[in-house]
Amino acid sequence: MLAYTLKRLAYIAVILMVMSMLIFWATQVMPGDVAQMILGQFATEDQIGAVRARLHLDDPIHAQYLRWASGLLRGDLGVSMMMDRPIGPLIGEAILRSAVLAGISIVFVAVIGIWLGVYSAVRRGSKTDRAISIASYFFISVPEFFWAIVVILMFAGTLGWFPATGYAALSEGFWTWLRHIILPVATLVSGLVAHVSRLTRSSMIETMQSQYVTAARAKGLPENVVIRRHALRNALVPTITVLAIDVGLLMGGIVVVETVFSYPGLGRMLIFAIEQKDIPVVQAGILSVTAVYALANLAADLLYAFFNPRIRYGNALAR
Amino acid sequence: MSQPVLRLARLCVDYPAGDGWLGALEDVSFEVGAGRALGVVGESGSGKSTTALAVLGLLAPEARIAGGDILFKGASLFALPDAERRALRGNRISIVFQDPFASLNPSIPVGRQIAEPLALHKGLSDGAAGEEVRRLLAEVGIANPQQVALAYPHQLSGGMKQRALIATALACSPDLLVLDEPTTALDVTIEAQILDLLEKLRRDRGLSMLYITHNLGVVARICDDVCVLYAGRVVETGSAESVLRQPRHPYTKGLLASLPRVAERKHRLAPIPGRFPDLSAPPSGCIFHPRCHFAVDRCKTEPQVLDKDVRCWRAEELADAAWQAPAEQVDDAPVRVPAADGTPPLVNVDALTKEFRLGGMFNSSRVQAVDGVTLRVAPGEVLGLVGESGCGKSTLGRMLIGLIEPSAGTIGIDGGSQKENRRNAQIIFQNPDSSLNPRKTVEAIVGRPLVLHGLASGGDLRKRVVELLEMVRLSPAYLARYPHQLSGGEKQRVGIARAIATSPKFIVCDEAVSALDVSVQAYVLNVLADLRDRLNVAYLFISHDLSVIAHIADRIAVMYRGAIVEEGPVDDVLGPPFHPYTEALLSAIPDVERGSGVQRIRLRGDAVESGRHVRGCRFQHRCPRKIGAICESETPPVIEPSPGHRIACHIPLGN
Repeated sequence: MLAYTLKRLAYIAVILMVMSMLIFWATQVMPGDVAQMILGQFATEDQIGAVRARLHLDDPIHAQYLRWASGLLRGDLGVSMMMDRPIGPLIGEAILRSAVLAGISIVFVAVIGIWLGVYSAVRRGSKTDRAISIASYFFISVPEFFWAIVVILMFAGTLGWFPATGYAALSEGFWTWLRHIILPVATLVSGLVAHVSRLTRSSMIETMQSQYVTAARAKGLPENVVIRRHALRNALVPTITVLAIDVGLLMGGIVVVETVFSYPGLGRMLIFAIEQKDIPVVQAGILSVTAVYALANLAADLLYAFFNPRIRYGNALAR
Repeated sequence: MSQPVLRLARLCVDYPAGDGWLGALEDVSFEVGAGRALGVVGESGSGKSTTALAVLGLLAPEARIAGGDILFKGASLFALPDAERRALRGNRISIVFQDPFASLNPSIPVGRQIAEPLALHKGLSDGAAGEEVRRLLAEVGIANPQQVALAYPHQLSGGMKQRALIATALACSPDLLVLDEPTTALDVTIEAQILDLLEKLRRDRGLSMLYITHNLGVVARICDDVCVLYAGRVVETGSAESVLRQPRHPYTKGLLASLPRVAERKHRLAPIPGRFPDLSAPPSGCIFHPRCHFAVDRCKTEPQVLDKDVRCWRAEELADAAWQAPAEQVDDAPVRVPAADGTPPLVNVDALTKEFRLGGMFNSSRVQAVDGVTLRVAPGEVLGLVGESGCGKSTLGRMLIGLIEPSAGTIGIDGGSQKENRRNAQIIFQNPDSSLNPRKTVEAIVGRPLVLHGLASGGDLRKRVVELLEMVRLSPAYLARYPHQLSGGEKQRVGIARAIATSPKFIVCDEAVSALDVSVQAYVLNVLADLRDRLNVAYLFISHDLSVIAHIADRIAVMYRGAIVEEGPVDDVLGPPFHPYTEALLSAIPDVERGSGVQRIRLRGDAVESGRHVRGCRFQHRCPRKIGAICESETPPVIEPSPGHRIACHIPLGN
């Protein structure tokens, strides 16, 4: 297990290296000149030349990459061109705030999604099951930015329960913090819960029809034990895979939600940096997203092994 | 007489079908006496599994009890509240299901699964239950109970899993053990071991058993009484001895006549014609009359009742009448001219080897699925290839028709090129459900190879397809049908028509009849035998079932762990001298005639070892006649007791 984890971490390092090259190359072909953006449209040729020299923009691309990559290895993410501040602490705060948003969301997605899925699988064909099905399709079909606007209009506008936008640190009081985070989380969670519950439902239904569940019933076990002990654990295996993929979807959603709710996280910072051609920030931001996604997949695979002994142990025992 | 443990009284069970109900069980009555074993026999759709589930109280929620009762020790099970019914399950009444591979929860250690009923019904603590589990595992013949209790299901072989499931069922010393086809998914030598175990448990524990099976041979071995189900109705019941030796109902007669047997081989079997009735609209009168040779007008109108243990009013007058082969096949069975000696073989296979890599990217191991096989098949000859699961027989068959690329060795079919081989060599697969494209009509399926090889087009195409369908005894009415509208036997016949479309000289039949019910299997076997006679096509007939092979083949090759261990003409292989493995296979077949009490040869262990064969005889680990160190160190020599009969074994002839 440890060897496996280490092997996977080594893969992740390789993936990050390849991604760093792709990111670096992609940001180079973005249109527009950085020095021009920094200095504004009235800058003179000399001023532009000086900025370009200071930022090593005239070096060959591989030299620029090596400088950037060696900085990364030392933990130096570079300096934001627009804000003229080191990116490390800047992006660190943003990641933390996004992580809070994403972490709370994914927990809700997992807990509510699995619970709804199991509930409707066990009561398959009932009115509750059908209601959950219809609601799921509705939430899957409607995009996040639309939900964001609807919840703002409803809960911030008409009802006035929560602030429409912005962010409050936990130090400003738990209640204030919570009031700011509820609407973004609700928006993020809506589609993904539906996604996870649909999948859990079908995998649970399949498991409930399997021979070993019938065999468990034949032992005289009460239905709730059959579901908990025999069906659930096996039914969750595909759900875990999907949850890891959903982490990717969630990060896409976070960019949208942070922008709409003016939530100062990584997503909003990325959009801002792209608009401003602040290339070092874009590079560091995308690389962070890649790392998070890769680690989420590793976590899913480790969980997968926990639920599925065939992966944990080799085949064949002594005969 | 003491009270029966279980009594079904006129039980009727329906399933919803469209707007109405489908009668899965109609008026089913039987009883299992204390310490007795009742065999419930039937083909698919007969309602035998519904019977088992009804006894356990595990019918699907949509099923409806339309009438009758189930009495356990005299008390109605339907009258019990749910909680009390559940308290009986796994405690007083327990069950072993068909498929040991699917009946164990893959994510819970085996010992914990066996302990569940102990904790639930007996309130044993974890420690006490663990101890009891180890004792039970030892009782069902597991050599290392401690280790097996901690193992996960995927680490055990099929036979070990089934033993573990039997241990689970026995955990609370039930009064009634229900067995639903407990050996059907297992290899024949493992089946024999499990049947031995069940016999022993019956003796030791005085168990009452309800044994559900399609296999009449198993009934003869295990059961005192038998109850034959057809289309949800009991058609005949009585002692196993009398029903199997003197069947009274035409269906039972047909079932027995359909059975290929090693001991008495015939030119053709006498199958039951027609197809299984649609139970949502059953035929009027006797349910079996559309398929019965003995049916007269009265049978078509008068529903039959169980009278003197038979559901047939003509039973008495037909007492001595045997089930006959349908007329259609008697008149057109031409006498086959055997190939003259000296004809060059059609199929030449030399030192054929296939090595597979197992495992992932980092730790791979190699398995020699086929290891240096040399074979000859003469034109029009049927070579039967028998062996257990994992022995490499399907890999061999697939290499012969070019579906798998060999690692080494040569294949020659009639001296043709690979492209010609595609036309000259065809295959019939085991499972007609997955080998026919569900979105294509029968006409398109059978016509496809004709178009592909440019053998027919336009108006000729349909004419040729009709011809091919007639050869497998399907009428032109089938042209426009889709696979889901066909029965299992009909699907397999479409598969055969497709295989013969290119007029091949050689067909690989890969377990071609194994998925079919006995009566249907007999019909398909007859079709295959007819085709061989008419088209002079040669078959490599692959099967795990030695009785089927013995029936259809001219020569038999016995395969074990990738190599042929014995080969020769049918009579030579089926009679002594034997390779010890062939002897064990023959001895393992549960035979209708032999019944119980015959001394049998049993193999040690129960898995075909994986991995690479290194030294000595490949059969050394399981051989009951191992003679000594030579078996471990040297490759056995091939001895030839009679011309064409070869045995690879160290045991000297005359022993």
